[in-house]
Amino acid sequence: MSRIVDGVTRPAPITVEIDGAMIPAHPGETLAAAMVATEIYRMRDDRSGAPRGLLCNMGTCSECFVWIAMEDGWRRRRACLTPVEDGLRIATHEVPL
Amino acid sequence: MIDIAIIGGGPAGQAAARQTLAAGLSTTMIDEQARPGGQILRQPPAAFAVKGWMAGRLYRPLRHLLAQTEADTRLDWRGSTSVAGIERIADHFRLTLSGAHGGTLLARRVLIAAGCYDMPVAMPGWTLPGVMSAGAVQTMLKSQQLVAGQPIVLLGSHPLLLVLAMQILDAGAEVAAVLMPQTYGRTMRAALPHLAGAMFAPSPLIAAGAAMARLRLAGVPLMMGARPIGFTGDGRLEAVDYAWRGRTHRIAAQVAAVSYGFLPQSDLPRQVGAAVRWARPAGGWETLCDGAMRSSVPGLYVAGETTGVAGADAAMAEGEIAGIAIALDAGAQPASDMARAQARRARLQPFIDLLRAVADPRDVWPQATPETLLCRCEDISVAQVEATMARLSPMADASAVKHRCRIGMGLCQGRSCEHALVRRIAAAQGCDPDAVAPFRVRFPARPLTVDEIIG
Repeated sequence: MSRIVDGVTRPAPITVEIDGAMIPAHPGETLAAAMVATEIYRMRDDRSGAPRGLLCNMGTCSECFVWIAMEDGWRRRRACLTPVEDGLRIATHEVPL
Repeated sequence: MIDIAIIGGGPAGQAAARQTLAAGLSTTMIDEQARPGGQILRQPPAAFAVKGWMAGRLYRPLRHLLAQTEADTRLDWRGSTSVAGIERIADHFRLTLSGAHGGTLLARRVLIAAGCYDMPVAMPGWTLPGVMSAGAVQTMLKSQQLVAGQPIVLLGSHPLLLVLAMQILDAGAEVAAVLMPQTYGRTMRAALPHLAGAMFAPSPLIAAGAAMARLRLAGVPLMMGARPIGFTGDGRLEAVDYAWRGRTHRIAAQVAAVSYGFLPQSDLPRQVGAAVRWARPAGGWETLCDGAMRSSVPGLYVAGETTGVAGADAAMAEGEIAGIAIALDAGAQPASDMARAQARRARLQPFIDLLRAVADPRDVWPQATPETLLCRCEDISVAQVEATMARLSPMADASAVKHRCRIGMGLCQGRSCEHALVRRIAAAQGCDPDAVAPFRVRFPARPLTVDEIIG
């Protein structure tokens, strides 16, 4: 478990869906943090199909773009800047718009 | 229309806001993070409670400033918001924002205190998931309160790695190794000319010494002269290869934290036409300013890492200077004395020079292979860039190479690859990188949705 437990109080976990799998996340966490804490390091694929993951964790590099299900369809967002929400659905592979 | 828009909620922006708010100027602060603090004090989520957060003595002035900022109800704080565009129109500026506070913001004056980011350094396997910047690993620790992975290997030429190693140990995790390519002798030779001056502000030196002692005590191998070669793994990072004392070694890793230095965030100053120059020693673009942090664009001020990476203490001093100048230029009364703030900034310079000399990556770069991707967004390899450069006129600039092979055309707008391309062009032309025209910076500086563009 990579979350620091000593001295840290987090809200009770919720679940988010990533490529069909349910993973735990604490409200306040970023999507990138929830994925890394679950040892999901791959966040997208490049044009050759090679996996890519988090690089800068501060919104600068755009490596951590994932697809998020919104009311009006799938949108691309930086996982490092996106807070988790209960019921959030994420895809790391390109999805039809 | 507001009096002053401050882009960046780190130490520079906060210190400036103390002055502009005291002078009675309407002040809006915009930052991509939800809470102020910058990367140096990247705060945990508001819903977390963290005992003894960033309690170290070196962080005390920064924490004090942050507490003042958060308590000040006069400040119009706009977190979780990116600045995608900046334009000068007649006597004011128009900012295009996206995120939680998206839309347009008009301001009489603008301070860009947007900080810096880890220099991305192309080496074999560096696109494997698990290979991260040291800053990414550090902000995961500071803010999200999690260790990015185990085992973790730290590598690169920047002494920030020692601080990060200590923070990982403090979190109760282990550090498999710290690989620094420069030798101990080279480090001492680089530091020597700056040591006497740096003794006027010795606390960072004492902290570095304490960090090294702590690592030794914890049994963390700190290998100076160990040259990182590349990363391997099937679908994600599994091991780091490095050369050490004439032999090649492999060490297992789930995460690698890489730090060869930092680049100033320069897209917004360049977008609005402010004069910049190649940053010493290793690149990126620092925005030029006068002694009161005024850029070459009237009404546009810069402070902190935007003007050249120099650390949080320098950022605080420069922010204060900028805030005083903004107040004076607006005909208002600043809270602090300009000469004293400038003297405080000047005292820090010897240590900044020392750190730059010690961290200088130029003779210890890792080697990219022809297959290594230089542009991570458009997937352009070193071989493709070299073939493009060979077909163009020897005097071609960075934009010419970009238009032919798409390097720098992706989502990051060249922030990851531009510095490396300019260095390659300079080497091919036998000139200084400052003589190579970089990419023409265009709107937007951050990815926007179509809705945000059409408003």
